[in-house]
Amino acid sequence: MAIGLYACKKTVHLNLDNAAPQIVIQGEVTDDTTGSYTVRIFRTVSFYAENSFPAVSGASIRISDNEGHVDSLMETTPGVYVTQSLKGKAGNTYTLSVLAQDTLYTAVSTMPQPVKLDSLTFNHRTGFGKNTIYAVPNFQDPAGIANYYQFVEYLNGVLLNKDIFVFDDRLSDGRYITRSLRNDSAYLKSGDWLEVKMYCIDEPVFDYFNELDQSSSGGTFNTTASPTNPISNISNGALGYFSAHTIRSVKAQVY
Amino acid sequence: MIGASVVFLETPNVSAISNSYGFYSISAIPGSYTMIVSFAGYANDTVAVYLQRDTSISITLENVAKQMQEAIVTAGRNNNVTKPLMGVQKLSINEIKDLPVLFGEKDILKTLQLLPGVQSAGDGNSGFFVRGGNTDQNLILLDEATVYNPSHLLGFFSTFNSDAIKDVTLYKGATPAEYGGRLSSVLDVKMNDGNNKEYHASGGIGLISSRLNIEGPIEKDKSSFNVSARRTYADVFLKLSKDSNTNQNSLYFYDINAKANYRLGNKDRIYFSGYFGKDKLGFGNTFGIDYGNSTGTLRWNHIFSSRMFSNTSLIYSKYNYDIKINSGSNNIGITSFIKDLHFKEDLQYYANANNKINFGLDVISHTTSPGIISASSTSSFNPLTLQSKHAIESAAYISHDLTVSTKVSINYGLRAGSFMVMGPGNFYTYDKAGNVLDTTTYSSGKVVKSYFNLEPRFSMNYKLTSSSSVKLAYTRTTQNLHLLSNSTSANPTDVWIPSSNNVKPEIADQVSAGYYRNFKDNQYEFSSEVYYRSMQNQIDYKNGAQLIANENVESQIVFGKGRAYGWELFVKKKYGRFNGWISYTLSRTERQFTEINNGRYFPANQDRTHNLSVVGIYKINKKWTLSADFTYYSGNAVTWPSGKYEVNGQIAFLYTERNAYRMPSYNRLDVGATLQGKKTKKFDSNWNFSIYNLYGRENPYSITFEQDPDDPSKTRALQYALFRWVPSITYNFKF
Repeated sequence: MAIGLYACKKTVHLNLDNAAPQIVIQGEVTDDTTGSYTVRIFRTVSFYAENSFPAVSGASIRISDNEGHVDSLMETTPGVYVTQSLKGKAGNTYTLSVLAQDTLYTAVSTMPQPVKLDSLTFNHRTGFGKNTIYAVPNFQDPAGIANYYQFVEYLNGVLLNKDIFVFDDRLSDGRYITRSLRNDSAYLKSGDWLEVKMYCIDEPVFDYFNELDQSSSGGTFNTTASPTNPISNISNGALGYFSAHTIRSVKAQVY
Repeated sequence: MIGASVVFLETPNVSAISNSYGFYSISAIPGSYTMIVSFAGYANDTVAVYLQRDTSISITLENVAKQMQEAIVTAGRNNNVTKPLMGVQKLSINEIKDLPVLFGEKDILKTLQLLPGVQSAGDGNSGFFVRGGNTDQNLILLDEATVYNPSHLLGFFSTFNSDAIKDVTLYKGATPAEYGGRLSSVLDVKMNDGNNKEYHASGGIGLISSRLNIEGPIEKDKSSFNVSARRTYADVFLKLSKDSNTNQNSLYFYDINAKANYRLGNKDRIYFSGYFGKDKLGFGNTFGIDYGNSTGTLRWNHIFSSRMFSNTSLIYSKYNYDIKINSGSNNIGITSFIKDLHFKEDLQYYANANNKINFGLDVISHTTSPGIISASSTSSFNPLTLQSKHAIESAAYISHDLTVSTKVSINYGLRAGSFMVMGPGNFYTYDKAGNVLDTTTYSSGKVVKSYFNLEPRFSMNYKLTSSSSVKLAYTRTTQNLHLLSNSTSANPTDVWIPSSNNVKPEIADQVSAGYYRNFKDNQYEFSSEVYYRSMQNQIDYKNGAQLIANENVESQIVFGKGRAYGWELFVKKKYGRFNGWISYTLSRTERQFTEINNGRYFPANQDRTHNLSVVGIYKINKKWTLSADFTYYSGNAVTWPSGKYEVNGQIAFLYTERNAYRMPSYNRLDVGATLQGKKTKKFDSNWNFSIYNLYGRENPYSITFEQDPDDPSKTRALQYALFRWVPSITYNFKF
């Protein structure tokens, strides 16, 4: 329960282990047929190192779908591989296979049917002298099916990457959803342009981001007692995820 | 009076101790005797008695101001040496009143954390761990009623108002057979009966809270009552704020303790005790939570004969919370409760000086309503009612206090318990992934599953000399109510679930052994105890476990084992102008689950290697008393990153093992001073000053990890500390 208590905080230097570098694979296929899809492969670094992650080059990557299309991805910049011809389609199941440094990693993801994002409104929360603005995506959750959503914000064209927003309709099936995206800090200012992209994701990808959020939650008073690496849908111990998802977006001016 | 000592001068080796209701029984061959009755802090009463047949004698002892120099020599002061029960700590209300605590609020739970084997759950937190157990493994009783959440304001205060309390006993090691239901400990708190001769009022006014206590006779010498109430007013300061959003916030709690008793003739006495408390936290209109416990106990003491005493109780206990959220068009309300109806019959048979038999029966009907969600039509959430759960927990017990010889006394017993999971409802089984395999529906009154457990209890005392002994004990305990809590701090919304077709009872076996020695005519008490406890069917959670509003919450749990062992050292100076104690615990508590750390034993979250408390109370003169307490403990086990990577432009942390790291250690010194005020026959007052955390150490409350906002190319660890210096002033009065 975050209760705005007065707490002193300071940076401390800890004696943290340096685990052996592990492979991190992030891949996605979307229903945006105008461009290509990307798979990124990097490695972990130690906690006190620079946030510069070594790329894994020269991997052999293929994405195939249940309709028989197979795409061999080409490396554009180190660690970044893009598809050549694959077109994402809702309802299809995609299989990722990565052969990197003699190890084969595979993952499967099914792209759900799209859900329309109606509009973007804004919610003001006031408390303790501060006025924080949150974005509110408005949409109708389809009744009778399990839906999983992910939201990504772009503020004035730049990705806002400080928070993870995933939502499932376990307690909200069939409702018209108007839940705010609660940022940890006040990023939105009146007059800014905000674009919110809503992804419909499958359950394993939802679980992945939900666990990632619980383990990295910066909230001091409600951190999970025992953070763990989120369960990835990629085999062989790779960190990261492979997500086949739809995208709908709305852009609005913050008020 | 509980624990008063009765002895015949002529047979000093035979003594009796009054029970929880003040009943005592002492036997001797017919003749003339001088009976001495004593209790710490009260003047001895000496009565000439002539025993020819069974006789009943009631004694009232008069309170005296604490003696400054001489120790009052009485029997019973070496009970810690002579009685077989071990791992028992008694807290004196007088001691509690002198110790400095956070916000100046005298608090038995905070004082308990200064004893060996008892660890605090953290700054401000009322939760405690006994011998490596979890916070839900302590049975907390207020006049026999279970208190499910003994904390106010998220743990900064406890639900125990010291004014209303008479006696506090903590059983850590050898729990008598009459108690059951939790694995680690029993905290038995008894309320004040009230003065049955005169009316008195007492209370205190402090910076954060105030309290008032009124007691007196209902019918002089026959009956009395005691009512205490208190309220915090931290939010009064919020209301003074000009900011219209701050002044609508609420943050307070209040509680009321009431007890009344009535003597119906010489053989019967009835009691009523009740507690009601409520916490309210709210942010204007957008969010509010209120929660609290309510308990009620109706008791009938009956004396069958001079040897047989009976206590019959009817007990009610309820803990509930209520949340209201009003955000944009999202309006939801959530309520949840756990409720007990409890019948208990306890009989004590004092066969002779060497034998006392205790037996009885205990039946509790538990009902939990895990959550009812109400939502408006524009809300993003569906209304939902989680199934209520019902269970009947019952036990029959018998125990025997036996003095085998002048050197050996033992207490052995058996508690036979059953836990029946009852319909109505749907009961599910799950596969490994947590999906429902099948559903069976049971109607009301049908038994879904029953568990039967035998809990032997044994403790033995071998007297080496008149002031030293060794003790040995073995106990088995079981627990059928489990608190699901996944976060670092205890939440008032944590869910209690009963054992079921999926969740088995937790079982613990503990052996303990110790050496006890009193010095200088029982002025000093020393003990050295070791224990080992093994636990079965311990609970932990799957990755990403969904505990909130989940009908299938039982699919989110994994089960494993635990073990805890340690060594407790305790030295106490009990009487005199200066008194206090030192307690030190060296311990380890571990868990083992197939799904975690590849099935290896790992330290539990609450594992802390060293735990040291030093307490001193010094009465300088008639006006001033100084007190201080110092606490040190090693950091508990935590899971920290061993690397990092990037996901979607965000830094994510790499974890390799659960609980492989340690928080930094904790230490804190509190000081207090009490200034005796005006004192007459009718009026007594004092001023109490205290500073919590005298040297303002930033004791780490939690450590989090994030991208450095000042240098995005790096990540940093951020440490949060809660309290630095917290001064407090309270004015106490009594008339």
